[in-house]
Amino acid sequence: MSVDPNAVTQGFPSPPAHGSPHPARYLVPVFAAGLVAVGLGVYGKAHDPAGTSFNLAGFSSTGAVKSWLGTGAFAFAVVQFVTALAMYGRLPGVRSAPWMPGLHRWSGRIAFLLAVPVAVHCLYALGYQTFDTRVMWHSLLGCFFFGAFTAKMLLLRHERLPGWLLPLVGGAVFAGLAVVWVTSALWFFRTFGVTT
Amino acid sequence: MKRSGPLFTLLGGLLLALLLLTLNATTGEKTTPAGDQAPPTPNPTASPSPRPSAPPTSEAPTPTPTPTKTQAPDADYAGRTDDDSSAIAVTVRDGKAVAYFCDGRNRESWLKGDVAGDGSMKLTGKNGATLEAAPEGDKLTGTAKVDKKTFAFTADRAKKPSGLYRATQTVRGARLDGGWIVLPNGDQVGILTRDGTREPAPEIDPASGSVTGEDLTARPVTP
Repeated sequence: MSVDPNAVTQGFPSPPAHGSPHPARYLVPVFAAGLVAVGLGVYGKAHDPAGTSFNLAGFSSTGAVKSWLGTGAFAFAVVQFVTALAMYGRLPGVRSAPWMPGLHRWSGRIAFLLAVPVAVHCLYALGYQTFDTRVMWHSLLGCFFFGAFTAKMLLLRHERLPGWLLPLVGGAVFAGLAVVWVTSALWFFRTFGVTT
Repeated sequence: MKRSGPLFTLLGGLLLALLLLTLNATTGEKTTPAGDQAPPTPNPTASPSPRPSAPPTSEAPTPTPTPTKTQAPDADYAGRTDDDSSAIAVTVRDGKAVAYFCDGRNRESWLKGDVAGDGSMKLTGKNGATLEAAPEGDKLTGTAKVDKKTFAFTADRAKKPSGLYRATQTVRGARLDGGWIVLPNGDQVGILTRDGTREPAPEIDPASGSVTGEDLTARPVTP
């Protein structure tokens, strides 16, 4: 890839198209991510858990609703992971196709929107808890997930990021959600059976 | 040009969260002022759905995630035994309950104990009296064993002035101990013990606590 250093750059007042971008541009996503994660945690800790909230028709319990929503979110997250690997050419024998970025974006959106109601219920009804290991990790990584997701979304708005950054943040988001899912929905299904 | 898609995604999630929170705040009854709440992963088996303080609304929370150590919401109950011979009132405050069983003539018992997170309770009183009960919707049902007799009962949620009242005082050398259950329909059942002798209690005015014909003041009972 050769870049003409004297080429006219349009629409990018600063920084110019060469070299590494100014680190300050990461401050906003990092700051927003921290704010979201810590804010959720503080809300979960400070807010008096209501113990209850609305339920969806057709499910036996909020636990079941949340487990299925969470499982849906995680399934779309797996799609995310696979399409990301394919787009970066890390999936042997699979090449990026033109429809992949669209699939990646939309599966991500759906996963996120499925996770939001679950998180709302968690934080509204149960709060941030640390009374056993599973619960502690779930609370911690639940907050981390939304923080990391915020960072990922805000980073996507920038162009010319270092190549490793998005996979790293995306991987953190995925890993966070995976642990959150294992400590909640998987635990629920193993404890109470796969019920609706 | 900055991409705005990701921003819309975030805003969409935020809007959804706010919408759900609003729904929760408007439809979900705040049942438990729980101190130690459950993990984000709920446990449907020990559902606190029959929480007395959650009036059954159509979209009301049925089985909700549960608390390992929730505290039962404060509540007052008053009702009669199934055989209609006696009245029972229970007051729940801060995870503790006090109950009064009274037939209005000569059988009475004060019981106390702790209330479990799901609202069930097992109370004990003098002379081996016991009371076991659990909330069912807006009612408290259970059995009481007083003077070796077992009574099944159902008590409704009681709103002031109905509920449980007690007066203990020494008046002109006589020790008086009165207990009153004011039922939701306004009926009163009470016993006044004067120096160890039980007699049907005179009426009280629940608002002021004054006891008819006695220099005595009855007060609402809390555990």
